[in-house]
Amino acid sequence: MGLTDVLFGRKKLKEAKGERLFAISTARVTLEVELGLKPARRAAVVFKPLSSGDFVRVENETQELLDVAARETMSKVSRTEDEFGFNWIVIEDDDFEDLVATVHLVASELQARGFGQQLLAAVFRFDGAEHPVYFIYGFKRGAFWPFVPTGEEKGRDNAKELELKAKLEHELPIEQDLTRWLALFDAPV
Amino acid sequence: MKRQAFGRDRGLTLRILATGGLLGLLYVVFGVVLISYLNVGIVPIILILGALAFFQYYTSDKLALKASGAKIVSEQEAPELHAMVERLAAMADLPKPKVAVIDSDVPNAFATGRNPKNAAVAVTTGLWRRLEPREVEGVLAHELSHVVNRDVLIMTLAGFFAMVAGLLARWALYSGMFGGGRSRDNGPPVFLIVLAVSIVTYFLSYILIRTISRYREYAADRGAALLTGAPEDLMSALQKISSGIATIPQRDLREVQALNAFFIVPTNWKSSFGELFLTHPPMEKRLAALAEIAREMGRPVH
Repeated sequence: MGLTDVLFGRKKLKEAKGERLFAISTARVTLEVELGLKPARRAAVVFKPLSSGDFVRVENETQELLDVAARETMSKVSRTEDEFGFNWIVIEDDDFEDLVATVHLVASELQARGFGQQLLAAVFRFDGAEHPVYFIYGFKRGAFWPFVPTGEEKGRDNAKELELKAKLEHELPIEQDLTRWLALFDAPV
Repeated sequence: MKRQAFGRDRGLTLRILATGGLLGLLYVVFGVVLISYLNVGIVPIILILGALAFFQYYTSDKLALKASGAKIVSEQEAPELHAMVERLAAMADLPKPKVAVIDSDVPNAFATGRNPKNAAVAVTTGLWRRLEPREVEGVLAHELSHVVNRDVLIMTLAGFFAMVAGLLARWALYSGMFGGGRSRDNGPPVFLIVLAVSIVTYFLSYILIRTISRYREYAADRGAALLTGAPEDLMSALQKISSGIATIPQRDLREVQALNAFFIVPTNWKSSFGELFLTHPPMEKRLAALAEIAREMGRPVH
């Protein structure tokens, strides 16, 4: 937040920082070897679409983006909308490296189309523990954080999350401010 | 290809600058006059009031929550509200604020807190019940924009010398009434000068502060449009809220008047004095500004 934001009110949202997404590819080895967590074959990018007057253009551009992603990679790409009005682009791929690459491609395509400020997060899922483990990449923060929902009403396993933070801190850019660890309970992955 | 900022509104920026400048100038003149007439007598008063204002600013989240009867709710008590606030805060790159609910049928909401780390947003049960989720989201985004723009700090700073002026006017009045007039070098009595200067300062700063407050509302509306990407949701929310407020009897509303500056729509929004004395811009103007932002968003990216 700059001084001008405070004096005159903020006039744009923070741009997305997507460049550190690839760190999850290397962290995956530690997750698998040391913690027995295997990546799921699905990941997702979540963003807030603009519901402006020119709805058709936005719609076309998102569709175009899905086509580009599907053409350039072997991943399967689809889109859903959630109850909060956020759009999810769900990516499926058997190979984790390709999965991460496609997530990055989708994010940079959105940025190239001028939706960089609307990007919220990317979500990667890992299985093998008691509860599914998610790694959420916050585009505003340029960092990851773990998210372990217990399946009960909006419960999250904070102990497990902190353990994951400690384990992965050296190879993954982990968000240090715990108040920023956004939960995404209904992630379609 | 980079999307341009929406609702940049150079006019609003210039108006904020001009009003802020005028208020600053007014306070400087006020200070100079007081110090030249009261010598050092004014310094302790300013220090005490400064401490008071700082205390008010520092505890603004707790004070406002208490004054409004808002109750902080846990994630289990209000899961949807929490989830909504959490996502919007992440979009705004803010830490998640405290979430509170006011048990009142008047649909309204406010945000408070000295900085983003100590912020709180509160909504009334009436807001939650009467508005669609998208509209509630628009309202929450407006409140979070107040947090982003540090409006509690701005309004505390803007209001500080007005508080000093108000107090001095009262003091001068009493000392004039009971203490008699000691005059300096055959000039008019000191208390009379202090009284006049304080009253003028108070009156002018009152108008300027309210003007700034209205500009901050436009800025928060713009922030909400950015956060949700959907200015029309806030527009329909504002319409619902204002019509709801207008139909509810005045008697119920008196208790909440002190909080007006922080509410999304003030409870006494109809004023016979016109816009000059209002903390919030008139509804038509807010809707027009939001419509302009919606048009800008619809424009193709270059």
